[in-house]
Amino acid sequence: MTDAILALLHMCIFPGGLFALAVGFFFKGLDRRMVARLQRRVGPPLHQPYIDIAKLLTKETLIPKTAHRTAFLLAPVIAFAGMAVCAAFIPVPGVFQGLTDMGDLLVIFYLLPIPAIALMLGGSSSGSPFGAVGFSREMLMMLAYEIPLLAVLLAVAMMAGKGMGTGAEFSLAKILTFQSATGQFGFNPVMIPALIAYLIFLPGTMGVIPFDIPEAETEILEGPLLEYGGPLLALYHIGSALKTFVVLGLGVVLFFPGTLTDIWIVNLVWFLLKCLLLMALSLTLVKSATGRFRIDQAFWFYIKIPTVLSLISLALVWWL
Amino acid sequence: MASFLKILLRNVLQGPSTDPFPAGETFTPPRLRGKVKLDPERCMGCRICYHTCSAGAINITQHQDGSGYDFTVWHNSCCLCANCRLYCPTKAITLTDNWHSAHEQTEKYTQVEQHFVPFVPCTTCGQPIRPLPADMAKRIYAHDPDVDPEIVRHLCPKCRLLEDAKKHMSPIVKAESASADKEKVADAAPKAATKAAPEKKTTKQT
Amino acid sequence: MSDFLKKLSVRSPWLFRINAGSCNGCDVELATTAFIPRYDVERLGCRYCGSPRHADIVLITGPLTARVKDKVLRVWEEIPNPKITVAVGICAVTCGVFRDGYSIKGPIDRYLPVDVNVPGCPPRPQAIMEAVLIAKKLWMQKLGVEE
Repeated sequence: MTDAILALLHMCIFPGGLFALAVGFFFKGLDRRMVARLQRRVGPPLHQPYIDIAKLLTKETLIPKTAHRTAFLLAPVIAFAGMAVCAAFIPVPGVFQGLTDMGDLLVIFYLLPIPAIALMLGGSSSGSPFGAVGFSREMLMMLAYEIPLLAVLLAVAMMAGKGMGTGAEFSLAKILTFQSATGQFGFNPVMIPALIAYLIFLPGTMGVIPFDIPEAETEILEGPLLEYGGPLLALYHIGSALKTFVVLGLGVVLFFPGTLTDIWIVNLVWFLLKCLLLMALSLTLVKSATGRFRIDQAFWFYIKIPTVLSLISLALVWWL
Repeated sequence: MASFLKILLRNVLQGPSTDPFPAGETFTPPRLRGKVKLDPERCMGCRICYHTCSAGAINITQHQDGSGYDFTVWHNSCCLCANCRLYCPTKAITLTDNWHSAHEQTEKYTQVEQHFVPFVPCTTCGQPIRPLPADMAKRIYAHDPDVDPEIVRHLCPKCRLLEDAKKHMSPIVKAESASADKEKVADAAPKAATKAAPEKKTTKQT
Repeated sequence: MSDFLKKLSVRSPWLFRINAGSCNGCDVELATTAFIPRYDVERLGCRYCGSPRHADIVLITGPLTARVKDKVLRVWEEIPNPKITVAVGICAVTCGVFRDGYSIKGPIDRYLPVDVNVPGCPPRPQAIMEAVLIAKKLWMQKLGVEE
């Protein structure tokens, strides 16, 4: 019983829930600000994403006549719920050791595509042709970026598992302890290709330029999000903010989980700084300087570069 | 790859180049075409602006009692082409550099430049006319020291012809006409007009 | 609480532009407000969104041609309340040079409740930003909260 309450607490307040939400939106605001600075603009205030959500909550909700009502209303809730659960599984090195000590990497792998799936569900149930186009694009993108993610996670699991003599280790807590004992994976030459693959995976899964093809606002009017407005759209944005925290946190945990001291607050700030660096490298810098790929270009890009890189890493881990 | 990183780095180092506009000041280019402005002192009511206005924003309506006319520009219809400024013979129309055009819907029909331009009686015959702008009259009659532009610019076109004709008459006719009555002058007017017309043209051209 | 939300909401006006048969001059000026660093409408919290469902402030350009009239009205209906309509350029405000043309059904305030007008052919980007500020003020009034 106490375990369940503790788990719920973790889901609602510390790594997941409120904390992840605050951090996700802060990162999003910082991202917009940094992009603006890189383009010689001033940019919106840092708290702009919070204001956006407040605004969306005051707007009215319109449901199209052609939409499948239940699926249309449920899709954003699914996206939000999936990410809210997923965020609780992210351990913060030196602060929080993760919800469980077995197999949570697999759970995260299964939960990560949920916003994309919910987006597809919402897009296809909205009854809009643009939603359908966005649905097919999102599907193709997902096929493309899930393969490198799987290979990266496998490489990390094998690396930790081989060191600990258990074959493959899918517990983030154990991966953390292994890394603190033998050195961070991000500085291991064997894992460098996997790290690069993960960095390329980030913009794809977050749906930002140059991989925002499913939600391209100039071509297909934001695709699956076209018919959403008001609180439902706010739920999608909240889910997206949680996902920002999840993917960045996962990246830090997998590759750079080092801690500075034993003081938890310092470790927390250090963790967030590393997340920020990851975001600046993989999302902001790319976003501010590129245009949008075509869907086939993006698909083959993901098949050719990150997949191959992550497979190289996997093979190296396997044989070395 | 390296080149765009260099550009991004330069951008960060140079800092934002944004105008502080809604909070602070912004710039206005020197030859910006803003809202149309009329100088009612210079307007002759020739209606060329009304005819050349591409958007039909200019309207000129005579007063019922003939005391003058109303000149109206609706800024909401004006396309800032400056045709009126180009064609205005007396340079009465200018374009200001005022670009603050945003307004609420309730003020839509108050966005006008409206002037009542009164007629002034001709100093000789009393017909209501618009006097020539002083500097323009001075320029037109610059070569002719005999004509006083201050007097001529307050005359109606007809009286101006007569005034011109008087100068070119031979001394004998001058003496005759001086002794004759006012009515006789009126009779002679068409003759004088035919005589003076080419003369007038050349003065204008020069 | 809801008053607080409403007050906050005004600081995030998302813009949506409808081209009602415009010559694209005004659309270019709208694009400059977003993409040229000198104007940077994003620092007011604005964002050009692709979907009418996300919009708060609608910027309509063009004289409402016969072809596009029904579509414009339909798209306008799709925008959730509370919304502010801004007519950008003299075509949208009064039809300008196209007035009384055989294919022109405008001006737009004949069919839609326009709130703010920005005349100009095209208006300066700064003038458009002024219009956004006026629209924010009107939006406050529509929500029924005082600054």
